[in-house]
Amino acid sequence: MGLEAIIVFFIAGVIFVGGAMIASALLAPKSQNSQKEDPYECGIPTEGPTHVQFKVGYYLFAILFLVFDVEMVFLIPWAVVMKKVGGIAFVEALVFLVILGLGLLYAWKKKALEWE
Amino acid sequence: MERIIFYILAAVIVTFSFLSVTSAKILRAAVYLFLVLIGIAGFYFMVGYHFLGAVQLTVYAGGIVVLIIFAILLTEQIDNRLARPKAGMVIASAMLALLGIGVSVYSILNHVFDKKIAGQLATVDDIGTKLLSFDAGGYVLPFELISILLLAAMIGAIVIAKRPIR
Repeated sequence: MGLEAIIVFFIAGVIFVGGAMIASALLAPKSQNSQKEDPYECGIPTEGPTHVQFKVGYYLFAILFLVFDVEMVFLIPWAVVMKKVGGIAFVEALVFLVILGLGLLYAWKKKALEWE
Repeated sequence: MERIIFYILAAVIVTFSFLSVTSAKILRAAVYLFLVLIGIAGFYFMVGYHFLGAVQLTVYAGGIVVLIIFAILLTEQIDNRLARPKAGMVIASAMLALLGIGVSVYSILNHVFDKKIAGQLATVDDIGTKLLSFDAGGYVLPFELISILLLAAMIGAIVIAKRPIR
């Protein structure tokens, strides 16, 4: 792919997004009243901080995702040359996957995959 | 043509790195960091290291940033604006940053760039062959060690996160 295409893409992206925002700012009807500033059009105004502390489960899922993300990074070059290298490549990847599979088994056993 | 792309990417990276360290809202800093990492991936694609660029996007922009954002959401201080650092801290970090720039610039200026090596690009095929090779210069042992490292990371995270709350 030529670099010109990327530059055109950049410019088109800026024009597309910027154009849409400018157009909506110019064309959209505007109204300002106190009701509009409310968090919602129903319910009572919120009191105190509205952000809640997330559960640690999210973090656990993120880190497990990251581990298998990195695994994928190493398996892609393996998959590309798997046929060329032959059986030995299969065994190597099997060792790799079994070790990581132990991790998944551990997570499963420790109920890290369950949402409480 | 390449030069234009280089300057666009450089501008993106410098702007968002600056915003990332100066932003008083921690969640915004994480989003700026995300854009910096995407800019770096752009550089990898520009010089032809497509695999490295893809890794940068999936692991750093996709994984690490999500992890950082979750870590921020775990803390209670999302809403708090970060306090302005003390003058002494600012000077000390500026000195350290300048030292870092100095070391990088010094090593870049003193590095003899080999044009022969610069012309060769490692394809995914090359990476895979090297990764699975038992010969001298092959990386099969690191390849297997990585799985143990990932296993350790996974078990460590589970042990810490699943610790009963006292």
